Amino acid sequence: MVNSVKLFFRESWLLVACAFLFGLLLAVTDAAWAPKIAQNKIDKTNAMLQSIFTDGHEFEKLPEKIDILSGKVKTGESTVYKVTTDGRIVGWAFTAEGFGFADKIQLIVGVDAAFKKMRGFAVVSSYETPGFGDRIKGDFYRNQFVGAPAANLNLVKGGDPSAIDSDIVAITGATVSSTAVVNIINRYMDTVKQAMVSKGVISSGQ
Amino acid sequence: MANENSNTKLLSVATAGFWKQNPVLRLVLGMCPTLAVTTAGFDALTMGLCVVFVLVCSNTVTSIIRRQLKPHVRIMMFVLTIAAFVTIADLFLQAFVPRMSEKLGPYVPLIIVNCIIIARAEACASKNGIVVSIVDALSMGFGFTVTICLLASIRELLAAGTVFGLRLMPDSYVPMTAMSMPVGAFVALGLLLATANLISAKEA
Repeated sequence: MVNSVKLFFRESWLLVACAFLFGLLLAVTDAAWAPKIAQNKIDKTNAMLQSIFTDGHEFEKLPEKIDILSGKVKTGESTVYKVTTDGRIVGWAFTAEGFGFADKIQLIVGVDAAFKKMRGFAVVSSYETPGFGDRIKGDFYRNQFVGAPAANLNLVKGGDPSAIDSDIVAITGATVSSTAVVNIINRYMDTVKQAMVSKGVISSGQ
Repeated sequence: MANENSNTKLLSVATAGFWKQNPVLRLVLGMCPTLAVTTAGFDALTMGLCVVFVLVCSNTVTSIIRRQLKPHVRIMMFVLTIAAFVTIADLFLQAFVPRMSEKLGPYVPLIIVNCIIIARAEACASKNGIVVSIVDALSMGFGFTVTICLLASIRELLAAGTVFGLRLMPDSYVPMTAMSMPVGAFVALGLLLATANLISAKEA
């Protein structure tokens, strides 16, 4: 027994010592850079929110996340932001995600203060095909959501993209990505709205 | 005489990574980042510099501890060392170049399993002194960087008409979107490897 322990230490002392030293090195590095990394994430979110709410100046993250359910199974969660200007609420934004053509698409969706009309959306991250699916970040597609009802949206393959209604015209050659964005927004919109009504953040009559 | 031999060896190590033992063109190692992050010049340059940093640090540590290294735990030691420095490189990008960190996504953490780094620890740093190990790391690292930057420049030029963001093609140029997709990576790498083989066949 003693010999086995001795053998273990003789063979592995360097590995154990290096693991400890590298762990220490990583802890120090992380402690030094973690605040900057956290600030970068906040700055990115604020820039995204600013691109949706040009009239919004302050973005406050609500403390509680909203669970997104499929039946009784939790399939995701959403962080909600209150957007204000001079203390007046100008809108709400919430995070949403789902699968696109290549990988997960993460969005921030903006709605007005009454949760009646959309203010637009911004793509936080996506790995859609360059030149095709990644055009969900372009004005042609995104502008169709500005002013659209904050309710169930439909994807159509033809139509007038400048019309402000619940019909979203798909991007040619990127139907899967276009459908994915509409589905993600539809999946989150009603749940987030209901959760905010039940929490008393917005009134059901609004 | 011994000093002359040592200098010749050092010079040979310093130049090996750029052609004779170029990780991409001769050894065909590190294919994951070579194919995945060569859509734009700056992406490839950042990846290359990360690999240089990790290679130099890992080779230095491996060379220092080489006499204490037990053969059956050496791979664990290499992976531990590489993982530590890759995590530092990843945290650095997240803190100071956040946009590039997002663009490179999982490919920076994936440097841990990059064969070039573990191969140099095994083939060079665990058998040589610190100077040779560092020179080898710089040679291999910059050899890798130059090659993937070349590949990225070809792909970026054909896919977007630019090289490192600088517009080189006329406005009338119709971009070949396929070159920014996986198929473009394989085609460009294949052509680059064929050219390298042609040159080395003529040299022989």
